[in-house]
Amino acid sequence: MTTAIDYNVKNMKKIIDFVLKNRLLIVVIGIFIIVGGYFSYQQLPIDAFPDVSPTLVQVFTTTDGLAPEEIEKYITFPVEVAMNGLPNIKNIRSVSNFGLSVVNIYFEDGTDIYFCRQLVNERLQEAREEIPEGFGDPQMGPISTGMGLILFYYLDDQSGKYSLEELRTIQDWLIKYQLQTVPGVTEVLGIGGWEKQFHINMDPNGLLRYNITINEVVEQIKRNNLNVGASFIEKDAEEFIVRSVGLATKIADLENIIIKAEDGVPVYLKHLAKVKIGGAVRRGVQTRNGEKEVVSGMVVKLYGTNSSTVISRVEQKMEEINKILPEDIKLVPYYQQKTLVEAAVNTVTTALWQGILLVVIILMLFMGAIRPSIVVALSIPFSIMFAFIGMRFFNISINLMSFGGLAIAIGMMVDASIVLVENIERIKNEFTTKESLMRIVARAGKEVLRPIFFAIIIIITVFIPLFTLQGVEGKTFKPLAYTISLAMLGSLLFAVVLAPVLSSLIMKKNKNNTKNAQKENWIIRLLLVFYKPMLTFFVKVRMAAVVLAILILCVGAIIFPQLGSEFTPTLQEGTLVLRLSMAPSISLTESTRITMLAEKRLLKIPEITEVITRIGRGEVGAHTDPINSAEIYIILKEQNQWRDDTNQEDLEKIIRKEFGNIPGVLTNFTQPIRMTVDELLEGVRAELAIKLFGDDLEILKKKAEEIAAVIRTVSGAADIQVDQISGKPQLRITVDRHAIARYGINLADVQEVIRTSIGGEIAGQIFEGIRRFNILVRFAPKFRRDLNAIKDILIDSPNGIKVPLSQLAKIEEVVGPRQITREQSQRFISIQCNVEDRDIGSFVKEGQNKIDEKIKLPAGYLVTWGGQFKLQQEANKRFAIVVPVTLLLIFFLLFSSFNSLKNSFLILLNIPLALVGGIVALWLTGQNLSVPASVGFIALFGIALENGMVLVTYFNQLLREGLKIDEVSVKGALLRLRPVLMTAITTALGLIPLLIASGTGSEVQRPLATVVVGGLFTSTILTLLVLPALYKWFAIKVEREIR
Amino acid sequence: MNNYKKLQHNIIVLSFVLVLTMLLSISCSSNANNNKQLKDDTISKVKKTDGVHTDEEHNEDKAIKLTAEEQKEFQIEIKKVKPGIIQDHIDLTGEIIPDPTKLAHMTPRFSGIVKEVKKTIGDKVKKGEIIAIIESNESLVTYKMKSAINGTVIDMHMTIGESVNDNSHSITVANLKTVWGNFSIYQKDLSKIKINQSVLITTMSELYKSNGSISYISPMIDEKTRTASARVLLKNNDGIWKPGMFVTAKVLTMQKNVPMVVSKNALQLVDGHIVVFVREKKGFRAQAITTGLQNGQYVEVISGLHQGQEYISKGAFMLKAEIEKESFGDDHGH
Repeated sequence: MTTAIDYNVKNMKKIIDFVLKNRLLIVVIGIFIIVGGYFSYQQLPIDAFPDVSPTLVQVFTTTDGLAPEEIEKYITFPVEVAMNGLPNIKNIRSVSNFGLSVVNIYFEDGTDIYFCRQLVNERLQEAREEIPEGFGDPQMGPISTGMGLILFYYLDDQSGKYSLEELRTIQDWLIKYQLQTVPGVTEVLGIGGWEKQFHINMDPNGLLRYNITINEVVEQIKRNNLNVGASFIEKDAEEFIVRSVGLATKIADLENIIIKAEDGVPVYLKHLAKVKIGGAVRRGVQTRNGEKEVVSGMVVKLYGTNSSTVISRVEQKMEEINKILPEDIKLVPYYQQKTLVEAAVNTVTTALWQGILLVVIILMLFMGAIRPSIVVALSIPFSIMFAFIGMRFFNISINLMSFGGLAIAIGMMVDASIVLVENIERIKNEFTTKESLMRIVARAGKEVLRPIFFAIIIIITVFIPLFTLQGVEGKTFKPLAYTISLAMLGSLLFAVVLAPVLSSLIMKKNKNNTKNAQKENWIIRLLLVFYKPMLTFFVKVRMAAVVLAILILCVGAIIFPQLGSEFTPTLQEGTLVLRLSMAPSISLTESTRITMLAEKRLLKIPEITEVITRIGRGEVGAHTDPINSAEIYIILKEQNQWRDDTNQEDLEKIIRKEFGNIPGVLTNFTQPIRMTVDELLEGVRAELAIKLFGDDLEILKKKAEEIAAVIRTVSGAADIQVDQISGKPQLRITVDRHAIARYGINLADVQEVIRTSIGGEIAGQIFEGIRRFNILVRFAPKFRRDLNAIKDILIDSPNGIKVPLSQLAKIEEVVGPRQITREQSQRFISIQCNVEDRDIGSFVKEGQNKIDEKIKLPAGYLVTWGGQFKLQQEANKRFAIVVPVTLLLIFFLLFSSFNSLKNSFLILLNIPLALVGGIVALWLTGQNLSVPASVGFIALFGIALENGMVLVTYFNQLLREGLKIDEVSVKGALLRLRPVLMTAITTALGLIPLLIASGTGSEVQRPLATVVVGGLFTSTILTLLVLPALYKWFAIKVEREIR
Repeated sequence: MNNYKKLQHNIIVLSFVLVLTMLLSISCSSNANNNKQLKDDTISKVKKTDGVHTDEEHNEDKAIKLTAEEQKEFQIEIKKVKPGIIQDHIDLTGEIIPDPTKLAHMTPRFSGIVKEVKKTIGDKVKKGEIIAIIESNESLVTYKMKSAINGTVIDMHMTIGESVNDNSHSITVANLKTVWGNFSIYQKDLSKIKINQSVLITTMSELYKSNGSISYISPMIDEKTRTASARVLLKNNDGIWKPGMFVTAKVLTMQKNVPMVVSKNALQLVDGHIVVFVREKKGFRAQAITTGLQNGQYVEVISGLHQGQEYISKGAFMLKAEIEKESFGDDHGH
């Protein structure tokens, strides 16, 4: 062992000697790193938060008019099947809704998104072949993530003279294409208003009168709306291109299409139908302020691009667009991620600067000199720049968490340099030698660099468990762990390589040594007045130190159980969204009406200036919400104009209270990014999810209810909920095969008429320049609006007889599925539940047994048990290994640093005391135990050890120099008061800005900072009072023999 | 996300335990109880805080309170249960044909050459008025074709000099003071259509309207079209009903006085029962009812309500949704 240590020491010496010999080279390298860091910084993407979206490719297929069952059968299933067996695939989930199929293909985290898309695209070709003609074309969603919705705007028509169709046309044909040209924008999705269509509202009596079928009308329209090219002719020396122009361009053109000629009398379309401009079938509406519908658009950012630059480009483009729009129409953004990005980056940048400032002040105060302070302070930019280079290397964007990591590390970055520079100062002052500054630096370095090295390595090591975090927490906190580790590595590099060089260059050798030698800094002297008697007391009465330590631990043990717990505190995005969930059977008209009522109510609340709501979904790509779901974006006054000086969370409560209840509407608050990400994330939010897989929806529903009933009898079950898979009313038309056989009608003929007359059929397009609008042929509303009207729809038989539909089919109102969800290519229903006052493992076992006993499942039906508890078990297993291993690793590091078990134990004592400080701090500030708090605890592990190491190293050194143990304890502690306090205070002060910050994102950093500051407090007490006292029991033995 | 809370505890507890054991073993203090208690507390403390909706039993009897302002805000309308008339209609399509009993076909008796044409299509003629004069081929004697009735010439194919020798050259005179509406009845409607039911006849463009009643229903069903036909006699003094015109007939198939009717919009389906929301002291309550006759607007109530009771005639869906609120939960697309 000793040889290894010697080797280490020698190495350290070698490094210092080498460094000091090649000072110019080192300075140049340092400059290179700083410059490189700056360039990396400029190239780093800037986001608000780390992107926690899963690696996911979405496949959307729209087919107007198909019910969920048909969507599943004809579209979802072929797509799913095609995707099976792709490499790196994690899961396939699908939702078949009315008119929309969404298949989510989840890949393992970290798989390249373009690679995934390529794989999916290849397989989509197969799927397309399987999907019947006319049932839609599956398309991949935008190349984006949950963070991709960067800007929402609406069209403000100040004059009120534009119809919703006109506004939507402007959105779809002008604004959309303009915005899509902006680099970094992958998609612009419109919603609201009406997509313009030419409606041909057929009068069925007219069809009867002239003996025409609706499908003949469709055909005729198609055949009378064409342009053709006929190459060219030569005339003299010139060429003439020949084209025949026959495209309909206006309503009159359509009206005058001849459908049939009888006895030379033409039957025009206008005789059979009313032609007018109308809106396409829509599944989404956008409303504003409870007053009116508006047209709106969403800008989707390309995956991996820099949010802030894309947003500013989009803004610029919007200004240009505003100039070319008709005078009364303006684009008004109502949600921008930019404000969020700016706010988040601002919060941490401010904290960063404040931290730097505070740290520098402390340095100046404690060092009492400018030059050493400069050397130490230079560690900050160096470490940060080093971290930037690392971030570029690891592809980490600048965001709240990664920058937050830097802000947290500010105080720690200087620690290593402080210890070194302080030692140089001390030696310089202490020994009025004639040694050159170089020699002093070398000596000081040799004394402290080893513990510094190990201390920093330990700090980095403690972050290892964070790197094993998975899922959302992993994605959220890994950037932080990365930047802290990188910055610490940078600071180590600085301390070992650059600090000695800079010290030798910048620091001055004292001119009048004698004077300075006695003169300690005044603060230190002041502190020493209090510290010295306390220290001597504890060193003398060692049991007092033990009692103190135990007392502190007891406090921690008492307080700890009182802490509440929560997840990651919710990031306040600064934009409130109130989500309304209405009955699944609701119509869009009714949900729009109710939403506008809700909007009116919200506007009565004085803090709210404007509300804009998206109901259902617009153009496919971003949202898949059904029409019973509405999301109200609440635009608030500036915070200082609120009635009470409250924060966003309290305001939510106020709004909730004043908003009250609207019958049949469930409300909950959410935020834009969170909402989108939640939607993309797979899985259920309850602890336990029992999934029943099977084919028949009825059986699934019945059995799921049975299972739920059984689970209720298991003790500890709480919040049991069965998925609501049905609830959407259907008008089911079942064609009677005997009836149609009697008339000689084919099933398809009947269904075609049903589809065309009720749903409508597209009969080509009307072109206005390059803008194209569909021509929709269907019955006039009067003839298809209710059951009786539908019963009377006439079907043509081959021998010319017309038969009403009710004579050929059974028409009934039934309740059908609201949507069909599938996982791993099978339908399922999930029963969610939480477990209270009981170990979840035994609960699952009991539940499984009971279900096996009491419930008989038909063949092909399968129950699986999953949910958070499974992830939890996996994560627990992982942590059960990682945490002890990390602790062991730390212990080894300590041991190899001190070569003494006792010393290592002594230093490890810091950890529990530090934890107590963190717990008390949380308790005092009324915060809960949360993920960031535990990240704080992890960071504490490392930080708490650092000071102890510095101190014990020095004790050992003094011991080796031949002092008595008690003397060693007192003298060592007194001499090391300055570096220990300095490192502790700089670290703590570096965090103060995060503690007091109230900006966006501060709520995530605060628990972390609280824990570290609190922990530092107790661990510093321990280091300064208890550790010296206990040192006697833990001191190394060898020294006495030498003595 | 729950799991991470447990993790956090585990990390902390684990490290606590680890380090505390070290501390204890060395400082020989008896802190063990504390430690154990701490751990126990930790485990019992670990509970989820996120609410999944409580699975409350649906309760149809739950009263829903709405203030007057809220009723106004939500545009909820209230009506009283009262006696009413339930009517139902069936729409039939058909055409106008001349009244065959007031129709005359005049055919040239002998083949010959048309010598003179006095009237043309659309001209009014009196009984005995000469329409054309024809010279017989056999006798070379001219004879007159006279109208057999008072009416209008609606069809004739004769020009001077034309040779007429068969029935295709007949002259049709119709008296259009009354016309027939001839309507097809599909099998499904046959049972509902009866003689003497009153009928509103309209043209396709709804330009003309006229009342009448069904005077005849064919006893046979057409083999080809599988429809029966119904006849409505129409007075046509203004001449608006032109034979060949395409018309629809709204037949009043049912009319009944019932003691209790409610608006059809008031009916909601809750848990498989048809309910109406009635006003009570506590608020609005879903009342299951049995229904009788109904048409597009009103429904007869057989039981469940009493006359004069106030019920929600418009906006009842909101209350139904309120009852079902617990069940539709926070589902979001997925």
